[in-house]
Amino acid sequence: MTEPIVETKQTENKEWEPKIIAFLCNWCSYAGADLAGVSRIQYPPNIRIVRVPCSGRINAYFIIKSLTDGWDGVLISGCHPGDCHYISGNLVARRRFAILKELLEFFGIEPGRVNFMWASAAEGERFAVLVRKATEIVKKLGPNTKFEKKW
Amino acid sequence: MAEKLLKKDDIGKFYSELEKEYKFYAPTKVKGNIAFKKISNAEEIELDYLNSKVPPKDVLFPQKETIFEYRYEGKEVIIEERKDLEDKLIIFGVRPCDAYSFKLLEDFFASGDFQDDIFLKKRENATIIGIGCNSPRQSCFCTSVGGHPFQKESTDVFLSDLGDTYLVEAISEKGENLLKKLSWLADAKKADVEKSKELAKLAEESFTTKFDFDLVTKVLDENFEHPVWQEISESCIGCSSCTFLCPTCTCFDVIDENDEYNNRGRRIRIWDTCQSCLYTLETSGHNPRPAKIQRCRNRIMHKFSYYPSNYDCLGCVGCGRCITACPVNNELRLIIDKILEIQEKSGEKVSA
Amino acid sequence: MGLETENKDIETNLREIARGLLKDKKVDVIIGYMEGTLPMLSQPIIIDSEEDVEKLIWNNLCYVNLAKYLVPRVPKFVDSEKGNLTVGVVSKGCVGRALIHLASENKIKLDEIKIIGIPCNGVVNRQRIEMEIGEKEILEVSVSGNNVIVKGKDFEKEFPFDEYMNDLCKTCKIRKPPLVSKAPDLCVGECEEYSNIVDDFSDIAEFEALTPEEKWNQITEELSVCTRCYACREACPMCYCNLCFVDQNKPVWFGKTTDLPDVFVYHLIRAMHMAGRCVACGACSLVCPVGIDLNKINRKLEKIVKERFNFTSGLDPDVLPPMVDFKMEDAQEFMLEED
Repeated sequence: MTEPIVETKQTENKEWEPKIIAFLCNWCSYAGADLAGVSRIQYPPNIRIVRVPCSGRINAYFIIKSLTDGWDGVLISGCHPGDCHYISGNLVARRRFAILKELLEFFGIEPGRVNFMWASAAEGERFAVLVRKATEIVKKLGPNTKFEKKW
Repeated sequence: MAEKLLKKDDIGKFYSELEKEYKFYAPTKVKGNIAFKKISNAEEIELDYLNSKVPPKDVLFPQKETIFEYRYEGKEVIIEERKDLEDKLIIFGVRPCDAYSFKLLEDFFASGDFQDDIFLKKRENATIIGIGCNSPRQSCFCTSVGGHPFQKESTDVFLSDLGDTYLVEAISEKGENLLKKLSWLADAKKADVEKSKELAKLAEESFTTKFDFDLVTKVLDENFEHPVWQEISESCIGCSSCTFLCPTCTCFDVIDENDEYNNRGRRIRIWDTCQSCLYTLETSGHNPRPAKIQRCRNRIMHKFSYYPSNYDCLGCVGCGRCITACPVNNELRLIIDKILEIQEKSGEKVSA
Repeated sequence: MGLETENKDIETNLREIARGLLKDKKVDVIIGYMEGTLPMLSQPIIIDSEEDVEKLIWNNLCYVNLAKYLVPRVPKFVDSEKGNLTVGVVSKGCVGRALIHLASENKIKLDEIKIIGIPCNGVVNRQRIEMEIGEKEILEVSVSGNNVIVKGKDFEKEFPFDEYMNDLCKTCKIRKPPLVSKAPDLCVGECEEYSNIVDDFSDIAEFEALTPEEKWNQITEELSVCTRCYACREACPMCYCNLCFVDQNKPVWFGKTTDLPDVFVYHLIRAMHMAGRCVACGACSLVCPVGIDLNKINRKLEKIVKERFNFTSGLDPDVLPPMVDFKMEDAQEFMLEED
């Protein structure tokens, strides 16, 4: 039987660090993350950013597939309601997020694995603070082994 | 070889001796339904059952099966074949209809230029221990398709439930070899063998459904475009319960699963169904069976017309699972009635 | 008045109405239920003449959601010259809800159907009774007083109907099809106006209070026997997509195997697609060939849309379903915020 080559799930020397995938909307959150970087604001390096045009582009499949692929946490960030570059993309997304969060909790996925936030292009500091918060939450939950396909 | 007796109390001993050498599959309760699973102790065996929801073909041809696994090492791809095909299995307590289905599955997987090694190797290493049906269900009709509630031919060892003992008969060489290992089994008396024959006769007489399937095949061969198919497929919702629970259905889909993060993958096969609208969808976008009536018709024709043409026997074992599973009660017996009505209405006698 | 007399009354009324509709040519065909060939089953039947009206029945074994046959229309409901025929649908509450919700999604035109309302008193939980009887064949099922009586070759058992009905029926608040104010001719028979549904969802409160680990264990245990046959999807009137998300292969989103993560994800995403659309008819659970019970999930879906958006599916064809609408004031308490 082939064995999976596991990267950093458990190592003796280093403490386990969660891997979080972050979907950021291009106009607000991605720019906010950029501003945090340019301003040299430190935030945890656990997130891997995927740029999408709007938080309304986020399909529930992205979030669930990330969990089944083994990501420990998912973070989605968009513009504040009322400030969406496409007028109402984030409002559509907000309803989707609400349903998804409630259903995930009902099915027994720890609330805290999937997080949503609003961050605008001028809020570099806020972006860093919330990413730090999300990383703390996911770190407390431990590695994501529920969806592991064992073979 | 002479018939033997197995006391119901000795099933535990039977199991613990055989499980040393064989992987033991038996009917057991899973979430309230009977299923054939590998058991870990003899208490789990339930032999006093009507029939399992999912047929025992699940043991040799499971819903999901790995064909091979592969992994990347640098630029090389290393393929690992299945290693567990040489394991010996016992499938215990199979009804005669399901035991006969193994023969039909063998016909299918061994036909043509490419033989399915995975199934055939497992089948070769499997010993089937059948058990007779003392009280067949209303929905059973094995006698109409050439079967019998006490049919022994497709099994290796056959049990008959005589009350507090089972009559044990070796049918094939494999069965004889198995029974030789259990020398502690008592010899059966003539009265026991007579009782088993009695039970067989009673069971045969209790059937309420009787069809002449040779006639059905003839009518089907000549009525592919008949408007009766409209009526037959009217209430079908395409749920595919019938095909998933059928002991002779063999269609499967092959999928490659990639675990990119770990540089490995596997090729698996999963059960597929001709009742799905995507089943015949081709890459060009053309679909030869886009409508439900064509898919409904295909299932009936496959079992009762194409199977006789290709393999010289009916593709149905008469277990009745499709009848009890159909949520809209679009049952096989009503369908056969409607088909036979064509021949009556047309007035001309179809010669047998 | 006992269950038995109730059912008889409903049946007689139903046949009267059906006869009248066919006679006055208000409908071209009627779809309803008829006696099944095996004790615990019923069949759908399509009739188009007054003589066949006697075949229509109502009993507590009428499971199938008849709205399924309208989306897409089965060939018998379409005439080559006249186009779509007017169809009379024998509707218990959930079937009526399904039809109205499908109209709000523009899959049915309300002037092409007639809802023949009947006051449903619940359907029997067939799988639970079969599991309790065990491995003995059921030969006869009847209703007496308020009990379901099940007989076999050498046994007879009585089940109190109130306890052995489908779990979704126990908490159902919409037993008769809803009246639609903009289409007063739509409903014949017994229908009701629903202005305010009150539901405290106390039946799932116990489950919701469990820890995530316990919830995960219970749900995965229930789903562990799934064979991925998709009967639940095919029986649901709301699942009418030409290409379901599991069948998509450009790209492949989720696995189709019976491994637990794949099974879990299929049911999770299907539940998500049902948010605001599920009418709690229970057909998905009653159709499952291996007896999985999805009632808790369906109740949770109703709870989410009722509490967040004050929406109940299938009451008004003009109200936008919650997932295609948005409001500036939507609750966002789940968003991550700075401390």
